Amino acid sequence: MTLTETENTTLVAPAVHRNVWRSSLTRYGIVWAAAALFVILCLTTPGFFGVPNLRNLLDQQAAVLIVAAPLTLTLIAGQFDVSLSAVYITAPLVGLQVEAATHSIALALAAGVLAGLVCGAFNAFLVVTCRINSFISTLASSYVVAGIGYVVSDRAILTPSDENFRDLAATRILGLTSSTWMAVIVVAVFWIALSSTRYGRYVYATGANGDAARLSGIRTGWIVASTFLLTASAAAFAGLLNASKSMSAQASDDFSFVFGALAAVVVGGTSIAGGAGTVWRTVAGALFIAMMNNGFNLNQVDPIFQRIILGLVILAAVGFDAFSRARRRS
Amino acid sequence: MPAPLISVRDIGKSFEGTHALSGVDLDIAPGTIHALVGENGAGKSTLGKILAGVYGPDAGTIRLDSREVSFQSPRDALAHGITIVAQEIALVGTRSVIENIYLGSEVHTGPFVRTKRLRRLFDELVADTGIDVPGDALVSGLSIADQQKVEILRALARNADVIVMDEPTARLATHEAEALMSIFDRLRGRGKTIIFVSHFLEEVLSVSDTVTVLRDGKIVDGGKATEFTPGSLIAAMIGRSLESAFPPKAAISQGQPVLSVAALSRAGAFENVSLDVDAGEIVVITGLVGSGRSEVLRSIYGLEPPTSGAITYKGEPAQYRHPRQAIAAGMALIPESRKTEGLFVGFSLVSNVSLPHLPRFSRAGFVRARAAHRSATEQMAAVGVKARSATVEAGLLSGGNQQKILFARSFMADIALLLADEPTRGVDVAAKRQIYDLLVQQAANGTGVLLVSSEMEEVIGLAHKVVVMRQGRVVGQLRGSDIRESAIAELAFGQTTQA
Repeated sequence: MTLTETENTTLVAPAVHRNVWRSSLTRYGIVWAAAALFVILCLTTPGFFGVPNLRNLLDQQAAVLIVAAPLTLTLIAGQFDVSLSAVYITAPLVGLQVEAATHSIALALAAGVLAGLVCGAFNAFLVVTCRINSFISTLASSYVVAGIGYVVSDRAILTPSDENFRDLAATRILGLTSSTWMAVIVVAVFWIALSSTRYGRYVYATGANGDAARLSGIRTGWIVASTFLLTASAAAFAGLLNASKSMSAQASDDFSFVFGALAAVVVGGTSIAGGAGTVWRTVAGALFIAMMNNGFNLNQVDPIFQRIILGLVILAAVGFDAFSRARRRS
Repeated sequence: MPAPLISVRDIGKSFEGTHALSGVDLDIAPGTIHALVGENGAGKSTLGKILAGVYGPDAGTIRLDSREVSFQSPRDALAHGITIVAQEIALVGTRSVIENIYLGSEVHTGPFVRTKRLRRLFDELVADTGIDVPGDALVSGLSIADQQKVEILRALARNADVIVMDEPTARLATHEAEALMSIFDRLRGRGKTIIFVSHFLEEVLSVSDTVTVLRDGKIVDGGKATEFTPGSLIAAMIGRSLESAFPPKAAISQGQPVLSVAALSRAGAFENVSLDVDAGEIVVITGLVGSGRSEVLRSIYGLEPPTSGAITYKGEPAQYRHPRQAIAAGMALIPESRKTEGLFVGFSLVSNVSLPHLPRFSRAGFVRARAAHRSATEQMAAVGVKARSATVEAGLLSGGNQQKILFARSFMADIALLLADEPTRGVDVAAKRQIYDLLVQQAANGTGVLLVSSEMEEVIGLAHKVVVMRQGRVVGQLRGSDIRESAIAELAFGQTTQA
């Protein structure tokens, strides 16, 4: 360390020493919470710790993880994307129509992901070029995209003509489903991109202080646009996996998908103020919520109460974030 | 000497174990302007706030008119006729001047405010004090100087006899500050007592009767203002004599032009600006706030591209559309606002310094974190950043150290042109000198330096060449012995036609 020590050393140092314990507790809080929940469920809930249950749990979380990982980047860049449910529903409709016309699974996948990219580009255009608040613009685009879904499918339930379409999500590799493996790959890619690459640093800088980032030579508009493109194409891919799993897709599918992904990011502790967060936190958040729901189901807790408790958990996570930021500022 | 109005004995105040003030004795005579000066963190604002009831002292006594008082709150102090005009203006921007002045003390009948009576009171107040502000204007539409007048009127409307003014001129242009000084003078004429907390020494000496100098929470000097000079005040404030506040100006041999700006215009910001910066030369753009100085820097740097005109940099045309082009070409900008445009307050010092230089420190998109860390810490040491470690958050540093972080960031690359906008704003006297040294050193290494500054001493102390702007135009350029305060002021205020 070549920096000079000064009198403010004594000012700051004791506080830091005292906080080592507490800071690692808060820093890894969601990991401790997820680990504790895992242990508790193993001990108390028969049927939780077993290959079939855990395999299913991961398989069910694959779609959420695939979207939540890039969505973490969007939030860190200081933006919001609520249009992902619409993309998740509409992209596989596009994919399946292409599959019906061409009988090619590869083309279907390409068309579906491309549809997602187009949606992401539209969001990026609204946010970066038109400078519309991202919450409002993605809310609006969400209606547009969902409506297009009805047009594309002509309100019908679409099913793939090729039975092999099922293999996309359901192939077993080393005991886990292919969709689980894809989630692992997507999470790993975004984790590394965010923590170790220049692009990742630029995402943090853009969200922490956009003006200063621009002054530092970062093309903040491109950074923001890229997060929308990545998130929307990931949502499209997740939607295709879901269609493969159920071998069908329809425009009236469950619209709450984005909330699951957002909940994972936020419970993981990524700040909605931008500039801070990590992908591993999101993974921990997603697994925490998944284990919680799984535990409730195994213990036959009324689904109504499950929702109430999940809501309270999200509030606790966001409240904790606001509280720790207020403390840091004082 | 009349009996003191306020008499303070052995006042002490600590914040989280740090002594902000200890053993302070102070007498303030009625009907005088009493200045409290000192570096940032010397305790001058704390003392002012204790007198106005914002803080309670940990130890000591305050006597007002020989009676011991103990203020529980600013409201309590106001009941005794003492109030404070704080550094941060606290007015309701969306309401009118009159409403703000009488907020909380409206004349009313039942629930109804008697608007006409308030207006009459306001007119009387304005006539009485000579402080002129339009009563119906919305506060948000007023200049900072006018908002400060509203704050002062607010204090007077509450019959305050003693007004603590905490750094009132920190955000004012020179002529606005002068107008405020004449208001102070008038208020003194009407028997009011003003406690003037400031670090603008010439201003302090021009208007005050008495000066008290604080250093590290103690009173180190004081007396009649006429007994002090800016130099002796600085010496008392920092506790050692500065041979001068500025490093000696290096003579520049006829250097190569680094930057040449010709007939540059940006719609709505500035027009027809031409200037040259040579290698090793320090050029300072000055003028009133809003005269288009910052915008010229930002245009050169590619932040706000010009609408017409030509920029030649290192002999080649340089019309940048984005700062990253300017950075790649070897320019650096230190922006006017450290907090909003410069720093990432939640990031570590190393991240702050290295961010623009990551392309040099990455391979295939992956950051070589260790190499970047090493280079950034070297730069921080070179510019004299004082911090506990290189990984603390930038927001925890003092203003001077934060500014040095921005210098370290600029110097981490080989630059040919340094653009700096008010680089010493909000930093203490000692850190200012260090920043001046950095600028002069950088110029001595052959870098062209283009500064924007409002502080007259700084302009005169640093510049090889001064470019004065007024209302978006260059109204004059001064060199060498022509760089004098009177010449600059005449150009800036437009009192001559020299152009």
